[in-house]
Amino acid sequence: MSTAAAAPFWRTAGFTYLRYANTCATMVRSCLKEPYKSQVAAREGYSYKLVKWDNGTQQKAVVHESEAAAH
Amino acid sequence: MAMQGGARRLLGRLVQGLGPASEQTFGGAFGAQNFINGELGTAGSRNASQLAVKNRMKSVKNIQKITKAMKMVAASKLRRAQEQLEKTRSIWQPFTALLGDAPATVAEKSLTITVSSDKGLCGGINSTAVKYTRAYKRWLDQHDVTAVAENPKPLVDIAVLGEKGKAQLQRDLSKSLVLTAVDYSRVGINFSLVCEMIDQIMKEKEYDVYRVIFNRFASTISFQPTVATVLSATTLQDQLEGGGSLEEYEFEGTENGAAEVLQDLSEFHLASVLYNGLVENATSEQGARMSAMDSSTRNASEVLEKLTLNYNRSRQAAITTELIEIISGAAALEAGND
Repeated sequence: MSTAAAAPFWRTAGFTYLRYANTCATMVRSCLKEPYKSQVAAREGYSYKLVKWDNGTQQKAVVHESEAAAH
Repeated sequence: MAMQGGARRLLGRLVQGLGPASEQTFGGAFGAQNFINGELGTAGSRNASQLAVKNRMKSVKNIQKITKAMKMVAASKLRRAQEQLEKTRSIWQPFTALLGDAPATVAEKSLTITVSSDKGLCGGINSTAVKYTRAYKRWLDQHDVTAVAENPKPLVDIAVLGEKGKAQLQRDLSKSLVLTAVDYSRVGINFSLVCEMIDQIMKEKEYDVYRVIFNRFASTISFQPTVATVLSATTLQDQLEGGGSLEEYEFEGTENGAAEVLQDLSEFHLASVLYNGLVENATSEQGARMSAMDSSTRNASEVLEKLTLNYNRSRQAAITTELIEIISGAAALEAGND
């Protein structure tokens, strides 16, 4: 029943399921040994520019980047 | 007879001045002709128009080289994208088998996620996605959702991924935009990116129905605009209670029953659909770019052919005119001497 007990914790912490799954995946990836570690590293990197809109006006653009892509 | 002799003498003098070096540059039999064209032409009026044509030919040739290179790049990228695409299709298919597809669902709050590309020169795929987004927005706006909500007008928000779709949609639908993400394909499209993006979307607002609009890759020359519908956990719950396809299933392992599972399921469904949408769209983009660049390369060849023909014809006409002038001038001279 550990999963049933654990699930509400990350959700009450404000995590979405995807964020939780992604964090778990990053953990597993970082536990891998070479050469697998560098092979799967590409699945982790991302970068995009996010702009929020408020009633038709653009807000400031924020760059979201994974740690792997920032280096 | 006298007329011909005069012409030969004049031409002979010109050819003598040519020299062996220039002959090589202009190449064999056409040396004399080119010499006349080049040497006498610089001062003449005919070269101004011919020079313009020649420059035009040069630029068309350069553009052709660029489009050809872009086609090659797109072709190699397409192959890689297609490999990734094969893998992503298996992620969303079980969801459709389980939950079905309900594109006509009208809810109080819905979000349309339009997938477009960051870069242009890829045919009409971005315009198609934008067109479908507008059509869906219009269609949803007409609906009266009094049955499910107090507010009769449904809320139809739009999120755009990609620079090109954003540029088009912000002109007339900026009031409906909630967020836009551009420059996403720089590092690469993977599941982590999709998770991040949806996390941002879900932080903003909660919706009842999500729609992902993208171009499905059918073949290098055919792309199908596709709308994938993802229902939120609450909508799924309503369906479950209302006797939908989910009723056959039992939910176990959770204290709160189906609600918790459905929340996770809905999020994961959205992520897998969006991931597939992004990859499908990226593959379509490369395919469309490839065929667009192919046709522009072909178009450049056609233009070049026409220009070359024009150029040669006017050059020949100028040479003929000059020869006539020389010959008649010489004839007049001979006639004066006699």
